[in-house]
Amino acid sequence: MISKKRKIIVNSVVAFFFFVGVIWAAIIVAKPGQMSAREDQWSRIQKEKTITIGLDDTFVPMGFRDKQGKLVGFDIDLAEKVFANLGIKVKWQTIDWSMKETELNTGNIDALWNGYTKTPERAKQVAFSKSYHESNLTLVVNKTSGIHRFSDMTGKTLGIQTGSSAETDLNTHPEILKNYLAGQQAVGYDTFDKAFTDLNAKRLDGLLVDEDYARYYIEHQANPENYALLRGGFKPSEDVVGLRKGDKGLQQAINRELDRLQKNGFIRNLEARWFGPQPDLKKN
Amino acid sequence: MANLMSFLPGVLAGLKMTLGVFFITIIGSVPLGILASLGMKSPYFTIRWLVNGYIWIMRGTPLLLQLIFIYYGLATVGLPFDRFEAAAFAFIINYAAYLAEIFRGGLQAVPQGQFDAAKVLGLSKTQTFFKVVLPQVIKIVVPSFGNEVVNLVKDTSLIYVIGLGDILRAGSIAASREVTLLPYLLVGVIYLLMTAIVTLILRASEKRLNVWR
Repeated sequence: MISKKRKIIVNSVVAFFFFVGVIWAAIIVAKPGQMSAREDQWSRIQKEKTITIGLDDTFVPMGFRDKQGKLVGFDIDLAEKVFANLGIKVKWQTIDWSMKETELNTGNIDALWNGYTKTPERAKQVAFSKSYHESNLTLVVNKTSGIHRFSDMTGKTLGIQTGSSAETDLNTHPEILKNYLAGQQAVGYDTFDKAFTDLNAKRLDGLLVDEDYARYYIEHQANPENYALLRGGFKPSEDVVGLRKGDKGLQQAINRELDRLQKNGFIRNLEARWFGPQPDLKKN
Repeated sequence: MANLMSFLPGVLAGLKMTLGVFFITIIGSVPLGILASLGMKSPYFTIRWLVNGYIWIMRGTPLLLQLIFIYYGLATVGLPFDRFEAAAFAFIINYAAYLAEIFRGGLQAVPQGQFDAAKVLGLSKTQTFFKVVLPQVIKIVVPSFGNEVVNLVKDTSLIYVIGLGDILRAGSIAASREVTLLPYLLVGVIYLLMTAIVTLILRASEKRLNVWR
């Protein structure tokens, strides 16, 4: 049997170390986070000649993997070009898109460049580059559905991508589309391929999605001619590069390069390559 | 069918990550689980409380949350883990908690007479544990241990949240690229194959361990 004395000693020692551990953890948590994330990282990036960019590699046609597993897409081409001009190598890091701002602010990645749209909420946490691409929110419907304008969605079901800027726009301007919907609520999907499956199965009447993505998905459907794209009253969304607030040097360098690539037509060529020709659009 | 096979290279690239997390978890969580199960039976109440608290937290919160806390949470307080290290750490401490309960059940199933006999024979505590108790515990826990292993095969898919690419993520990439649900079918088949292999290995070891019957 273990003596009473020994029990008391061991129990006190364990309790002591436990409390020391708890206090130590509390001190660490109370301390302000990583200082390095708040400083300008541009000189470090220039010295190392590499930048880590976060992306969601399921995000067609902005950044995704081809059959060989190679990263391709509009944003991949553009970012590679911008940083090649600056003499910096891009290291692409796959992230979970719902964790993007955390990844950026903890310093795991230096930039977000993957169809990242400017919104007021994001502006509180993240610095933006200048906008390099504009896109409209469109409503994708089945041609036979009889839906020709947003008001035709009265009492119908709408699908959106959870956490997307489309969701934010839908909620901040409910008078444009949200108020028409059944239950004034949309159905959230994590990826659009699943939402398209539901649109085809008629479990959804419409799908609110960025025009670039909408065209990509429609092109890959069995019968692309079955769908119609409707533009409504939403303002065009601007794609930007997401950066840490402190990284002014990086922001200026990216803006300078984006300006040049816009002027010399590089971005326009890329748009034609990845988003294809403009399709017919029914104006609302 | 040829179409389905075209997704294979991408999905197989994700398989490496899935298997990596799987094996490192098995290797790390078994010893930790045994330790924790012994801790629950410790004569010192502080150790019992600590271990019970640990198991309560690990089993009481979703593994997905634990992954987020360990990778992102610890980084915000200045303890940055590598992505794979964070995944391995979270999976090991989570699975060790479940295994601890299984091992505790196994320990309780060893009759008191075995302990008494070992004592009478003059075996030390360590000898009793390793030579008498542990071999019996292993036999008892194989079926429930197997349950956890099969669960682990599928739970590895949660690592998507810290940006690691496993086979399920490879499937989603192919699904959004080709706009079809077919890659998921392939991913499902691969999971089934993996659990089939695990099941066969467990059955075989169970049979071997039961030769004494």
